[in-house]
Amino acid sequence: MPVAEDELTVTFTALADPTRRAILRRLALGDATVGELAEPFALTQQAVSKHLKVLERAGLVSRLRLAQARPCHLEVDNLAPVMDWITQQHQLWEQRHDRLERHLASLEG
Amino acid sequence: MDEFVYRRVHRATPRVLFECLTEPEHLTCFWGPAGTRTPLDRIVVDLRPGGVFETVMVSEADGSEHHMRAVYEVVVPPVRLVWREVGSGMLTEITFDERGDGTTEVVTTQRHVPEPYAHPQARAGWATSLDRYAAYVVQLGGAS
Repeated sequence: MPVAEDELTVTFTALADPTRRAILRRLALGDATVGELAEPFALTQQAVSKHLKVLERAGLVSRLRLAQARPCHLEVDNLAPVMDWITQQHQLWEQRHDRLERHLASLEG
Repeated sequence: MDEFVYRRVHRATPRVLFECLTEPEHLTCFWGPAGTRTPLDRIVVDLRPGGVFETVMVSEADGSEHHMRAVYEVVVPPVRLVWREVGSGMLTEITFDERGDGTTEVVTTQRHVPEPYAHPQARAGWATSLDRYAAYVVQLGGAS
């Protein structure tokens, strides 16, 4: 599924909040209801629902409609663009600093 | 997590490291990743806020070129450097923190996703294992 730049920005914004990242960590272990998500974070269900809306808009979480509790589900595939960017940037800077380290050694010698 | 952070400790002073990252004679020696070179005569450094920072990374395999065009936003030798790439708008901040034992931690932070990475073809070949994402999500925030 093509992901437009705007959508990617939405994903990054959604991930910028520590509570939302904690919710995603929990969902990585398995689906959970809003009540189950609220409990460990000492948040009201209302506060959790707000965060979930942001995550849903970013396509990172979906709500299953089959049960009345509508458990939340992590849409891991939609993390791909973000993961790709981070992986590439990490490789670039790691190689750059490897070379810088050798350059520094050559300056000393 | 709307940003990328890379930390590295080098055995050098902040001043030497700042010079390495801002002087073309140094940059040409290490700027490009493995398999590329960064010709000295094509590096532009106008080290002041609003000044230009340009590099060209040339692939050693096929000669293809990757141009980086940016404008400095913050220049505070030897502790802080910020530039913004023209086009993508990606912001790169580098800080140089002296650790008092002859080493300096260089912290690179990048904000805003560059446009090419948003295209699906740029993602080709990337491992799409569900487990891998899930594992990453578990670590998310752990480091922040």
